[in-house]
Amino acid sequence: MAINISNSKNRDAVVALEAVTPQRLVRYVDDRDKPVSTRKLLKADVEHDLAQLQKKNKDPEKLGKALIKDDQEIDTEKFGMFLSDLSRVYVSKKGIVHLVEEFEIIKNPDGTVRTRRPRRKESQNINTDIPLRWTGKFIKKEAAIEKFIFTNKKQLVHINGLTFDFLFEMAQTLEKKDSLMLLRGGEKGDKPLIMNRGGKSYNAFLEGRTKGKSYCLILHLSNMELKKPAEPETDGDND
Amino acid sequence: MARELRLSLDGEEFAVIINKVSREKLYGDVEVEAFDEKGNPADLLTLSADGKTFIDTGGTSLATVTAEGTSISRADLIATDIHGEKLDEVPSSFNHANTLKKATVEEYLSQVVKSVYVLEPAEGSDLKLLQSQFPKNIYKFDFSYRGGLEFDSAFVLGNKTDAFLIVGKQGEFEFVKLNQVSVLESTEEDISADDLDFDLL
Repeated sequence: MAINISNSKNRDAVVALEAVTPQRLVRYVDDRDKPVSTRKLLKADVEHDLAQLQKKNKDPEKLGKALIKDDQEIDTEKFGMFLSDLSRVYVSKKGIVHLVEEFEIIKNPDGTVRTRRPRRKESQNINTDIPLRWTGKFIKKEAAIEKFIFTNKKQLVHINGLTFDFLFEMAQTLEKKDSLMLLRGGEKGDKPLIMNRGGKSYNAFLEGRTKGKSYCLILHLSNMELKKPAEPETDGDND
Repeated sequence: MARELRLSLDGEEFAVIINKVSREKLYGDVEVEAFDEKGNPADLLTLSADGKTFIDTGGTSLATVTAEGTSISRADLIATDIHGEKLDEVPSSFNHANTLKKATVEEYLSQVVKSVYVLEPAEGSDLKLLQSQFPKNIYKFDFSYRGGLEFDSAFVLGNKTDAFLIVGKQGEFEFVKLNQVSVLESTEEDISADDLDFDLL
């Protein structure tokens, strides 16, 4: 993924934005010490869902008997097949819908509806003609972690020698400040970051670290404050 | 009844109840309704590669397969570390006292967050002493909710009013190298971030 970002001198460059994944310290092998992998498979399709079966047989007792007798909920040809190249589509009773009207129902934390409105699908703003703005709004790391939960992280990586210098300088500046810097997008440089069209908005904070002649520039993304909800639920299926 | 997690700091033990914090609980949720051109409700489904099999939520599953593509039960898998050494199981953190060690801000910021919990005192427990450590200090310990093959990293931190448990795993960061180094002098002033909007981002 590319990101167009400006520095404190208002010079901008397009650099790479890479995902940060959690460290994997456990590997799984079979009894011959060979690595195993995970594949997605089909468990059930819509045609064999309870709702569809109920349409064919409205009497629950008869349906129950039919399930026992004919295994109507199972397609032995399809179920269990490996899945790849999946798409997400809207389907109405007329079939696949190519032109869809979407509405957002905004709900309060207690589940009550706050508003209903046509869905807004904002464009991504991290790689446009307008570079992300170096706001100069520094927040001490200690203060930032007290206020925000960083729910996602990315790493900025140079794509050539010039951008190495560009990013190394950024990392160094931030490290010296011992601070995170708020990063903003949009024409006025006042918008949260959106990675993909229609995607979540994030308040983004840039952290820089250096080690000798190397650097690590981390983009911390937050859509949540570190605070207690009004009415927390007790420990149930918490994990 | 909620399970108690025991945290130990400098010989002092604190029994806490952990309650999950989510964005939905803080700010609410957004649901999407869709309609076709004639106003019929439309559902978002998964379409398989054959172009005719529609799959709803819960219609897929993950299976573990061998190099040959044969399905293998999880019970038959052998867990190893990155060097190929067989791993022993780790206990649930609810089964023993968890000793808190001091952590740095950088360690905390290196974590990829999985879950956030707010800490509440268990019956008969008092968190005042633990709470007094915040926001100055951050603590860490190895955490496993149910037990398993590896621990998550857990950080205990807080602000003036509440204490939190942040669970996750160390992120795979990389220090990137090249030959040239130059220094940039910055003149920006530090400002507050109190006015950031988090509601309905």
